[in-house]
Amino acid sequence: MTPTGRLELYETMVRIRKLETSIETLHYGGRMHGSFHSSIGQEGAAAGVIGCLRSTDLVTSTHRGHGHAVAKGMRPATIVAELLGLQQGSSGGRGGSMHLHDIACGFLGENAIVAGGVPWAAGAAWASRRLGKDLVAVSFVGDGGAAQGVLAETLRMARTWGTPLLVACENNHLAHSMPVERTFGEPGSIAAWAAGFGMRAEYVAGDDVFAVNRLAAEMVEEVRTTGRAAFLEVEVWRVRAHSLNDPDYRYLPKDFGKSHLQTHDPIANAERDLPLSGAEAAAIREQIAREITRAIDAAFEGQTAPVRSATTGVYSDAFERESRLRGW
Amino acid sequence: MAGELKYAEAIRQALADELASDPAVVVMGQEIEALGGVFTATQGLAENFADRVLDTPLAESATVGWAIGAAMAGLRPVVEIMFMDFITTAMDQIVNSAAKLRYMTGGQVAVPIVIRTPSDAGTGHGPQHSQHLETWFAHVPGLVVAMPSTVPDAYWMLRHSIQDDNPVVFVESKYLYFRENGEIGPHDPASHLYGARIARSGSSVTIVTAGRMVAETLAAAESLDTEGIDCEVIDLRFIWPYDRETLTESVERTNRLIVVHEAVRDFGWGGEICAWAASELFYSLDAPICRVASPRAPIPFASPLESAIVPGQAAIESAVRDLARH
Repeated sequence: MTPTGRLELYETMVRIRKLETSIETLHYGGRMHGSFHSSIGQEGAAAGVIGCLRSTDLVTSTHRGHGHAVAKGMRPATIVAELLGLQQGSSGGRGGSMHLHDIACGFLGENAIVAGGVPWAAGAAWASRRLGKDLVAVSFVGDGGAAQGVLAETLRMARTWGTPLLVACENNHLAHSMPVERTFGEPGSIAAWAAGFGMRAEYVAGDDVFAVNRLAAEMVEEVRTTGRAAFLEVEVWRVRAHSLNDPDYRYLPKDFGKSHLQTHDPIANAERDLPLSGAEAAAIREQIAREITRAIDAAFEGQTAPVRSATTGVYSDAFERESRLRGW
Repeated sequence: MAGELKYAEAIRQALADELASDPAVVVMGQEIEALGGVFTATQGLAENFADRVLDTPLAESATVGWAIGAAMAGLRPVVEIMFMDFITTAMDQIVNSAAKLRYMTGGQVAVPIVIRTPSDAGTGHGPQHSQHLETWFAHVPGLVVAMPSTVPDAYWMLRHSIQDDNPVVFVESKYLYFRENGEIGPHDPASHLYGARIARSGSSVTIVTAGRMVAETLAAAESLDTEGIDCEVIDLRFIWPYDRETLTESVERTNRLIVVHEAVRDFGWGGEICAWAASELFYSLDAPICRVASPRAPIPFASPLESAIVPGQAAIESAVRDLARH
């Protein structure tokens, strides 16, 4: 990978981190409502895996997907506007934090139903191949999602039909409060389970974005060439509680997240490995911080969609025209 | 298109004609390829449309989710769920994804999929192969629910549903697959697209029904005719959206309304029709509104028990006689 490429991975991680810490600040300051599932500490997976994709490739994500959205090219201002519930948001404020979608970027979107997006990615990649497009899809899922039946079904169907899909399983050690050790076992166990579907399945530690990127690039290339699905377990460390609605972190020691960040911060590791001097890193961080601040300011310029629009866009335009005429 | 077809053949013909006319159409489901579908609805299609009529593993949730992704990418998938009872295993993808994606993406995507699935008791399939669950889907914003009762409707409504840009749950009648015959007949866009059908004109009472209950209701109407009760029978065709204009026009003439369906009565779609009519047609009604539907029990296997559960001609006649006394 070129030095520029490596730097871009770092910048993507910093962008995700800054966006999410800013979102936290907005929530704590009462300027944003609703739920928020932070991916702080997990940036190595989002940046590393998506960093090897083409802009035309597709990505589906989870309820913890702001990082995937940023890495796939969604504008932070559009994301923040959606989180604020504004018309200028990616879904006009209808989705919120767990429903970021940007089809133009190839970001098919988050899905708040755990593992629900995996078959979308498989089907979209399969259909795109049939329509003559040389693309692959990456579907993110967590260790929680790895227990969902639809993942097993999709892997089985992917083996049966063939589809250029990479499932990127972010094992962040916790399905809400359930430790992965109880459900699957040691890190790597999820990949071992997926290997049973007859596909290539690998494990990589996600605090090294360059290692993630190298392995993901190799696997994506193979998926692209063969049209066969593969599975990548990326071990990451969830630094925050499950969500803002879960502030006490009752199920773990209070300093759990902080200590993870001290030992497994993909951003700090990348600064060490690139390497970047303290001054170089600070300059990049400041530049990205300014960019995020501008994006947030721009988002706050937006407006809420007219209240009467709440019941529109449920069906196709033709259907809704008919509905108004015929009083359904 | 000349000649009589069976209901199942009309479904097959609609699939064949859509496959032929639109390269984006793909058909996916269990046992639909080599076997041709357990009710023969896809027989011969895999041979004629190579690589477009495809067997899936026994994985309804992934199959529907896969179809949703394929639809987002530009195809028009038709999914067969072998029995409507099995649709429970795909509920998340239908309710949380197919129905909501247009809305929750702010209109960035459409999900033009059809989920074909046979329902009905009457064929001795027992409690997990016989339920009518269309009410569940009619309750979910974003879905269209179609339920044809005749050969031309099975054909034209399926063709429309495949070209519909909304996700459609298409409830077929397995009771009628090999019993109902007819010609496909001419295309009538105004009524085949979300319109009800007056299956029998009458002046004494309006009976709203759908699916295989249309035939039971028509038989009851003929019998009641000899008693001087002239029933109007409306085949709703679409449970959502339901055709309020046709219902209004009819009830304003007959001043009486009965809803007949095979689905369980309590919280069933008949309740919705009744509530709507009680609110909107109150001053046209001369009698209480009445529902004839299945009681609150699973569909039993034994034929006499099954017949006791599912509404039939006698139950419909009895309800109409009661109502006609008002």
